[in-house]
Amino acid sequence: MTDREEGFGFAPEDDAPIPYRQRIRDYYQALGYGAPYRWAHYAEVPFAPLNKPLAESRVGLVTTAAPYQPGKGDQGPGAPYNAAPKFYTVYSGDSAIDHDLRISHIAYDRDHTTAEDSNTWFPLPQLRRAAVARRIGEVAPRFHGMPTNRSHRATIDRDCPELLARVRADRVDAVILAAV
Amino acid sequence: MCHQTVSLAARHLEANGIPTVIIGCAKDIVEYVGVPRFLFSDFPLGNPAGRPHDPESQAFTLDLALRVLESAPAPRTTVQSPLRWSEDPAWKLDYSNIDRLSPEEIARRRAEFDRQKEIAKTIRDKPAKAQ
Repeated sequence: MTDREEGFGFAPEDDAPIPYRQRIRDYYQALGYGAPYRWAHYAEVPFAPLNKPLAESRVGLVTTAAPYQPGKGDQGPGAPYNAAPKFYTVYSGDSAIDHDLRISHIAYDRDHTTAEDSNTWFPLPQLRRAAVARRIGEVAPRFHGMPTNRSHRATIDRDCPELLARVRADRVDAVILAAV
Repeated sequence: MCHQTVSLAARHLEANGIPTVIIGCAKDIVEYVGVPRFLFSDFPLGNPAGRPHDPESQAFTLDLALRVLESAPAPRTTVQSPLRWSEDPAWKLDYSNIDRLSPEEIARRRAEFDRQKEIAKTIRDKPAKAQ
């Protein structure tokens, strides 16, 4: 701590959100891969206002987690990265029942979290409690799983329209998307 | 990749009139894509909905996300959760930090990455089945 900082209660310099794009760029370059990944990036952002109170709204949930698939290797908790359970089409599940969703196909922080408690990435039980408490009107009948794909074309041209069609069919008023 | 995917999905839903809120832990990726509403938890990737085995933090996180959903005044609204992962922020220096890896570990990771990419390609190229 320098004289200048002393007594001001500043947080440590590194105690800021991790610069993931920079980290990932440096990481893959050091591993020997070529041109850095071009992340999606927009200047304009759409905005749809909520049209009624949440207590009267049907709320949907979108996840990038994958259903547990026996026979496809270690899927955790604490599994090393495992591409085998990856999926490449939108899937849907019944919101009224519990699901065993895993994240071993995602580059989550394996040093500092073990993926033991699915409530940290898939808040469906929590959302159902919010409906019971009348915080929201109701949970949409289905939740939806979005494939994580390096290809912008696959996500934008194929998966996003498919997700929209399913969300519309559910007649939702708002959607929560959980990024792992 | 995951944060980019949900960001693109949120944009598409909003552009078609459906309000959204993203919960996530990679602030720079979500904000770089550009999204309407975002509840950021400064936690290790994998914990967008609260701390493990801590139902109170999970309930708090969902409720805060709902508040962001109902009260964001304009697009690109990011709210940072006041919850802390730990008192010591040292965990932030580990994720994909090339400065902390030995040449042997870098070589091992490259081989493993190539292996997993092949597995993913096999799944991707299989004919899709309806779900």
